[in-house]
Amino acid sequence: MKRVGLCQVETSLLSRGESTRSIRPMLLLIWAPKAWHRLSPLKPPALLWTPGGEAVHVRYRLLSRQGPGERGRQTQPQGPGFRTRLLITGLFGAGLGGAWLAARAEKERRRQQQRTEALRQAAVGQGDFSLLDHRGQARCKADFRGQWVLMYFGFTHCPDICPDELEKLVQVVQELEAEPGLPPVQPVFITVDPERDTVAAMARYVQDFHPRLLGLTGSAEQVAQVSRSYRVYYSAGPKDEDQDYVVDHSIAIYLLSPDGLFTDYYSRARSAQQIADSVRRHMAAFRSVLH
Amino acid sequence: MAAPSMKERQACWGARDEYWKCLDENTEDASQCKKLRSSFESSCPQQWIKYFDKRRDYLKFKEKFEAGQFQPSKTTAKS
Repeated sequence: MKRVGLCQVETSLLSRGESTRSIRPMLLLIWAPKAWHRLSPLKPPALLWTPGGEAVHVRYRLLSRQGPGERGRQTQPQGPGFRTRLLITGLFGAGLGGAWLAARAEKERRRQQQRTEALRQAAVGQGDFSLLDHRGQARCKADFRGQWVLMYFGFTHCPDICPDELEKLVQVVQELEAEPGLPPVQPVFITVDPERDTVAAMARYVQDFHPRLLGLTGSAEQVAQVSRSYRVYYSAGPKDEDQDYVVDHSIAIYLLSPDGLFTDYYSRARSAQQIADSVRRHMAAFRSVLH
Repeated sequence: MAAPSMKERQACWGARDEYWKCLDENTEDASQCKKLRSSFESSCPQQWIKYFDKRRDYLKFKEKFEAGQFQPSKTTAKS
């Protein structure tokens, strides 16, 4: 559809014999073909590829079909020099390209804003929690105010998923730690298996991952409360002869802002790099509502 | 029973990977991989062995499914 439109514009303007001195956008389409027409025997099309190259290239192909009409116009007075025309066409193309990139960035930004807003409205993680850390100290949600927190729910007897996800979480923390000017992120591991994951068990577990990884455990009710609050599903499987069992649970890494509010979550499919980029974006956009 | 430490986990995963490699080479013929199977069973808690076996079945099923080997039945007359 677009192609037909352009062709129609060309021929109608050509037939009205408009001056080529004007720099109105429509007229670019007239003396642009002149430039391309002259350039074509001299340079391969590849060199004419500007950021707005698509639009420019389409014009080149369309308008080169207007050979006979154009040749008739070459007896016209000179008008702006060849270089000027080339420059202005290039600027126009670059302008188009820049506008397209800006529109794309704006769309992405708006999409992320909508996502953040939707997550905020989901109001995950409301209410306090009261748990024991792996050193036996009581911790509640307020203790984490002022820090960014990356939180993961799992259990120490987990075959492979929890170690993988914790490794990923720790990688994110380390990557952000290495960047000067970024606040440190507190990694937190909360158990969904309070029966077996005592304070001592948690201490043994977290030391394998990161010196700052904090393990949180508690009574069955306390764990049930925090899991409910963060919408984490968990269900212990049947016990075998060794009294061993695995706990089926939802898998996600949660990001909490320094205000203690749930900000984002990352599924198993997200890589450490993607998570780190997302955390950086949230940090940059963060404005505290508490002081 | 204490949870496996990082070293024990990695030993278990290594044994599992060896066993699975053997299965891949022998097209799921477990009788060819008995030695690796017993090594796998001694490195990992029983619950984990059950879990990994199920996982293996699932991964194989997923491969077949993605290769299009399961087609919906043409008629539902007798189902």
